[in-house]
Amino acid sequence: MTGPAELAIIGVGQTPSRRRHEGSTPELVHAAVGEALRHSGLGMADIDLVIGGFAPDALAGENCPDKRFLPAAGAVGKWSMRVNTGGTTGIAAAYAAMDLLEAGHGDAAVVVGVERMAQARSVPAVFNSIFDPIYERDTGLSTVSMAALRASRMMQRWGYTAELWARVAERNFKHATSNPLAQIRTAYTAAEVLTSRMLAWPIRQLDACPISEGVCAVVIARTAAAGSRPAAVVRGRATVTDTYNMGDRIGRREGDLVELLTLRLAAERALGQAGLGSAAGADVVEIHAPFDHAETMAYAPLRFCAAAEGPALVATGFGQRDGGGPVLNPSGGPQAANPVGATALIRLAECALQVMGDAGQRQVPGAATAVATGQGGSTQFSTCTVLSRN
Amino acid sequence: MDEPAGGSVPPLTIDGHWAFDYQYFAGAAASRFFAGLAARRIMGSRCPQCARVLVPARAFCDACFVETTDWVQVSPHGTLETFTILTTSFPGLPEPPLVVGYVALEGASTAVLNFVDGIDLTDPDAAGARLLQRPRVTARFRDSCQGRITDFVFTLDEPA
Repeated sequence: MTGPAELAIIGVGQTPSRRRHEGSTPELVHAAVGEALRHSGLGMADIDLVIGGFAPDALAGENCPDKRFLPAAGAVGKWSMRVNTGGTTGIAAAYAAMDLLEAGHGDAAVVVGVERMAQARSVPAVFNSIFDPIYERDTGLSTVSMAALRASRMMQRWGYTAELWARVAERNFKHATSNPLAQIRTAYTAAEVLTSRMLAWPIRQLDACPISEGVCAVVIARTAAAGSRPAAVVRGRATVTDTYNMGDRIGRREGDLVELLTLRLAAERALGQAGLGSAAGADVVEIHAPFDHAETMAYAPLRFCAAAEGPALVATGFGQRDGGGPVLNPSGGPQAANPVGATALIRLAECALQVMGDAGQRQVPGAATAVATGQGGSTQFSTCTVLSRN
Repeated sequence: MDEPAGGSVPPLTIDGHWAFDYQYFAGAAASRFFAGLAARRIMGSRCPQCARVLVPARAFCDACFVETTDWVQVSPHGTLETFTILTTSFPGLPEPPLVVGYVALEGASTAVLNFVDGIDLTDPDAAGARLLQRPRVTARFRDSCQGRITDFVFTLDEPA
């Protein structure tokens, strides 16, 4: 659908996602990009653009980290820049590369998403610093409480329960056991989720993503330049931004805080470009949701069901392998590993591996079409991408 | 993929510290909003295009991309639209247990985030079930205002 400048992902390289990596940031970036190039069959001499995503500088404790990590991704002598849109950073970097390729600024790009939050000694305190210092930061807002404010509203509006969300978590953890790159590879049960430590009611430890580090790299090329090599063709993509103010979205006519208006709009556009009526028409859907409740918040925007029918859909066991419908998060998703600056790019990379048939143990047999979402900045930024094999 | 920094020497870590002091410029709208709090008034600003009353007050409406015009005093009474109960302590963050929530005040088109006081939190599930009923709340001002959002807190009209 992208016309003459049709694009495809032709290579993926990822470090494992881990609580902590001992290597330096440039070393990790260099390794992931090297793997993505080997997977693509291209060399760095074939690359025109190097676009990097890195989320809050203070998590890594390094101001303007682009200075060090972009050269490690191959930027020397090329067009290069760093992108940051919170959780959507990695996919925003990929979209920037796609835009530049479509505009004719080259045939192939390296995109890398980076997360080094293990360098911070207090991650929640750093996350508090991302919120508005004038009106909101004094309330101690963190990424967990910000999410919990949505979860309780979903319980109140649509009747979600901790038990239903624990089933979502159980499925994500089960899928992650097939992914050697996942950080949590223990098949925690719903019962274990429901008895894990309460962080911010109603969110418990195992409803939430872990603290993760990792680097993901992809090689994107114009399909004409990709030749006949296996590729994940970009069939649709869209990104939409919302107001920062969460309180402005409470009871908003166009879409409430928990109705995820920006993902609804992005999905409508991306699915429309790809000729899909619903993301349920895909074989694989990687949902960028660092919490189980957040995954279910994406169901209506992705047109799996109406928002009020979400709890009933969860009760059917929707999204499991061999469940008959799309497989949700065969990688385990962000609940099993959420390196913030990389995680939205990982969703795209995992979808690419699935449609290329290169997903190893976590391969969904015969996967031809996959949908990846991206969510960032307290659900302020949303993306939706549709890939299919060439 | 192997760790790139392998080899026989143990990986080195170097301690760092990042503690810079700042002063945040609140801007014209927030300065006026906080001055209102000192006079025990919660003020919103109205968008001339969509007519929403934005609380806390903003200089412009980001949905319509126009400057707000009128200033409107809103009621201290409202509804707790959504909330969370902070139950785990994290370094650098307020000490739990605490409730924070978004409250839609009468006369406002948006909700404002603040602490909600006066709730028995010994059983978080029971407190959560009570707060899911969207209880009525009222803003109570602290004795001395410092020009911070925490110059007021919300309390339940019917104690839990």
